[in-house]
Amino acid sequence: MKNYDKLLNDLAPKKFGKRGVLWTSFLIIIIIIGLIAYIDQLIKGQEVTNMRDYALWGIYISNFVFFVATSFVGSVTVAILRLTNNSWRTPLVRIAEIISLAAIVMAGITIMIDMARPDRLLNLFIHARLQSPITWDVIIIPTYIVLSFLLLYFPLLPDLAILKKYFKEKSPTLSKWYGIFSLNWTGSKAQKIIQEKSIKIIALMIIPVGIILQTIDAWLFSTTYRIGWDSTNFAPYFISGAFVAGVGALITVIYIVRRVKKLENYITDFHFDKLGKLLTLACLIYLYFNINEYLIPAFTAKKGEMVHLDTLFTGHYAPLFWFVTIGGLIFPIIALLFKKGRKPLPMFFIGLIVVIASWWKRYVIVTPTLLHPFLPIQGVPESWHHYFPSLHEWLITIATLAMALLIITILVRYLPIIPIQRTADEQELLKNNKNTKS
Amino acid sequence: MKNQINIRHFFLVLLSVFCITTSFAQKKKKDKVRLKAQYVKIMDGEIYFDISAGARVNRKNIDVANIDLTIFNKINGKKVKFGKTTTNMHGKSKFILKSLSKIEADSTNTYNFVISFKGNESFKKASKSISFKDANIEAKLVTKDSINYITATLIDKEKNSPISDVILTTQIQRLFKPLKIGDEFNNTDKNGTISVLIEEGIPGVDGNLAIEVVLIDSDVYGTVKAIVNAPIGKPIVDESTFDQRTMWSPRNKTPLFLLIFPNLLIISVWGLIIYLILNLVKLKKS
Repeated sequence: MKNYDKLLNDLAPKKFGKRGVLWTSFLIIIIIIGLIAYIDQLIKGQEVTNMRDYALWGIYISNFVFFVATSFVGSVTVAILRLTNNSWRTPLVRIAEIISLAAIVMAGITIMIDMARPDRLLNLFIHARLQSPITWDVIIIPTYIVLSFLLLYFPLLPDLAILKKYFKEKSPTLSKWYGIFSLNWTGSKAQKIIQEKSIKIIALMIIPVGIILQTIDAWLFSTTYRIGWDSTNFAPYFISGAFVAGVGALITVIYIVRRVKKLENYITDFHFDKLGKLLTLACLIYLYFNINEYLIPAFTAKKGEMVHLDTLFTGHYAPLFWFVTIGGLIFPIIALLFKKGRKPLPMFFIGLIVVIASWWKRYVIVTPTLLHPFLPIQGVPESWHHYFPSLHEWLITIATLAMALLIITILVRYLPIIPIQRTADEQELLKNNKNTKS
Repeated sequence: MKNQINIRHFFLVLLSVFCITTSFAQKKKKDKVRLKAQYVKIMDGEIYFDISAGARVNRKNIDVANIDLTIFNKINGKKVKFGKTTTNMHGKSKFILKSLSKIEADSTNTYNFVISFKGNESFKKASKSISFKDANIEAKLVTKDSINYITATLIDKEKNSPISDVILTTQIQRLFKPLKIGDEFNNTDKNGTISVLIEEGIPGVDGNLAIEVVLIDSDVYGTVKAIVNAPIGKPIVDESTFDQRTMWSPRNKTPLFLLIFPNLLIISVWGLIIYLILNLVKLKKS
């Protein structure tokens, strides 16, 4: 019981400290600035962006693809590790679920920002054609949002009931809310059976649904028959890229949460070591698909494609291309091969680089292709030949990233980010095992 | 006194400026309209004048649209008003002659017309004379040893005699431009007749070919055309996918596999999601 109390004290949500308040305020300010920029975009139209006839998908779409990719972490970490009975996942899964939910919600919002006329959103449903990958996207994103929410919610129920009791005297209002969301959880056998069954169904479902989501995201590009996108390799390329982005984001967030919430006893070097190996695996798979994606076209490219590849390899986008390839893939693989590289602090920096590189990777996928149409760009203003996001685009995009971080921050503030009940059960099991052996 | 002189001078200058500019305005150069007219007779069809009006303005050729033209029938040196027409936005007009039998010809059986434009503020007056004799083309399809020919005889209608040594063109109607068949020049023989082989395999809608025999812009007879519809072509297979279920059709023509499999997926995934939500309700009630 003493142990259980300690567990509760360690893992129950705590009020924000000074740094927490500052961080949240900072995010809210960025979101407000982005909101002002978005309102201005709504009033003036997408003229305020630098998207024109050729670069008609810009930073919003690359940001959308990044969010979709990051949301894959829920499928990978939670479902796969659960189905393969990897017990080390316990302290990591909830953070993964939170990132997954925040990312997919923001993906939905970002695509609406790109639409410029959100009042026409309903037309996507009214005039939907199943032949269009856009329609598939419109269907799969809400599906994944609901599934990600359920994936977070079902395992939370016992913890919410625990927190209801824990905060009964400390904070009755909070206790009341935990009570409402715990759905009268008592831990009865009947409830446990329903919960276990439901979690198993979600874990099984979220893998194919996650793969479908990433595949549709890839098909949005590869069905357009454009240089750089017209590839049968694109769906697995996107799935493996999402694997990297998701695990990278998970490592970064876990390090910060562990440090801020002082969870070193729960999220140990062992977990980072495991995550490091998982990220290495992800990077290796993604590197393999990258080689497929660029090396074969480099051998077989026709003139138009060669121009595109030259822009990436040695031209305008070369610094960005090599940063995302070397910094976001090759460097992490090398660094994570060493045990020292898989320690928490180096892992944090590696995770951060992977996330930044993953974001820019989407930019490199989206923009250069649009600027290499089949017919030469002519008879248009000089500025239409290039694309770099405008101030509005940057402010709005940064605000969406801040919004994702705010969702994560709020959920981390009010939810037990390490499952209390499950950790207690595991500790109990461990103790019983020791007793049995002795 | 000096002031009065100045005022007089001022008015004098003003008046002279007005007069000069007015006279310049009156003398503003008008452009010349070029009228072109062709007599066209389609056997068992329309007989008309194909008229076009153009001009060269600022070193550019333009179509003169919307001008009124009067058509006169010239009989014994006298001009009798015959009808009126107006050019369209492309400077063209089609003036239909209902029947030649009601029109008077001169002693040489020549019909004489004058197309006249009386001028307006932009263009000078202009006219175009047009003369022609009436001719017929009698065309028919002939099959010899399973080989198809088109034979045609050109006849001067008034004399009822064949017209020899005149080039007739044979062609098949097509959407943009007729498809010429046979030799480059098909001269009528002493019987006024030509015979042109029609090659096999010429595509036509439902296998139908509209074969034209044309006397093109003759100085004496104008343009005379006979059309023979012959079901001897290779039927065009309609490759339109308009009524098919394709990836590019509207949503009411979605391919069946795209209706079945994605909907099955959607129903099964959302069915499970509803089941999971019901489980939440069950948990709350238990």
